[in-house]
Amino acid sequence: MSAQRLAEQFESLEKQDHAARLGMWMFLGSETLLFGALFAAYAYYRGIYPAEFVQALHHNSVALGTTNTVVLITSSFTVALAVHFIRESRNRLAAGLLALSTAFGAVFLVVKGIEYTHHIHENALPTGMYSFVDQPPNGVVLGYTLYWFMTGLHGLHVVAGMIMLSVVGVLCWKGRYGAHRNVAVENVGLYWHLVDVVWIFLWPLFYLTD
Amino acid sequence: MISAHVTTPKLVVSWLALLALTFLSFGISRAGLGEAELFIALGISVVKTFVVLFIFMHLVEQRFANRLIVSLTFLFIALLVTLTVADPLTRKTFPPRPDPAAHPYP
Repeated sequence: MSAQRLAEQFESLEKQDHAARLGMWMFLGSETLLFGALFAAYAYYRGIYPAEFVQALHHNSVALGTTNTVVLITSSFTVALAVHFIRESRNRLAAGLLALSTAFGAVFLVVKGIEYTHHIHENALPTGMYSFVDQPPNGVVLGYTLYWFMTGLHGLHVVAGMIMLSVVGVLCWKGRYGAHRNVAVENVGLYWHLVDVVWIFLWPLFYLTD
Repeated sequence: MISAHVTTPKLVVSWLALLALTFLSFGISRAGLGEAELFIALGISVVKTFVVLFIFMHLVEQRFANRLIVSLTFLFIALLVTLTVADPLTRKTFPPRPDPAAHPYP
């Protein structure tokens, strides 16, 4: 395990870690405002078109959506365990758990890809491309457009999270992190948990509607 | 600084609790309660979020400054969503929605 370097602007390693953690929380706060605006758009249009939203989103597979919820929650759990073990300098175990979490992220994307493929075959597409039903009412098109945009943006976050998880996973394996140097692992974990939290809200809004 | 420590058993219990809440949410959504379902499901999601925040994200053992950011984030999102949705839900004098005859897509 290599020792952590203290940058000259900090008095102590504790303060340096606190600054890194605080910065990550602020970044997550700004991320939630990005998704918050989309949730506000969803609430607004669902307020205007309650029946049409239910009609449009009823088409989504509850089984696949619920599978993905379980997969993401479990991946969050394995990330939390990895952070726990790297604090005890159990590098190989932490690296394995981070690899497992990355694999769960891949499973999530595969399931989402299966759903997207079905939607594309059925012409359940966003905006003017939507032709799953003839002459769809405005609310149906809006509901499905929000579905594609919000799950698509979330999917991009999953990809970004997987890249970061695999990078810190490899560095854990190589022994870069340990009991006294792990704030990077923690911060990547925080990002992954945010991705999980966003899905925790997307799931009831887009799958549990009928 | 660290007031509580997140241990492995706590992580396992949180994970099982999150799975249980997921299936509870799923079960309630099949019960046919109508409009109330959405609000129950979102309420369960908020509970799940707090489990993730405080245990998985170790917020329980961090400084107040970090908890302040999370509380403010929640507050601002709640304000954003409720004030936005208050508009369409309280319209009495305006048309509640655009004219359906005016189809926006070709």
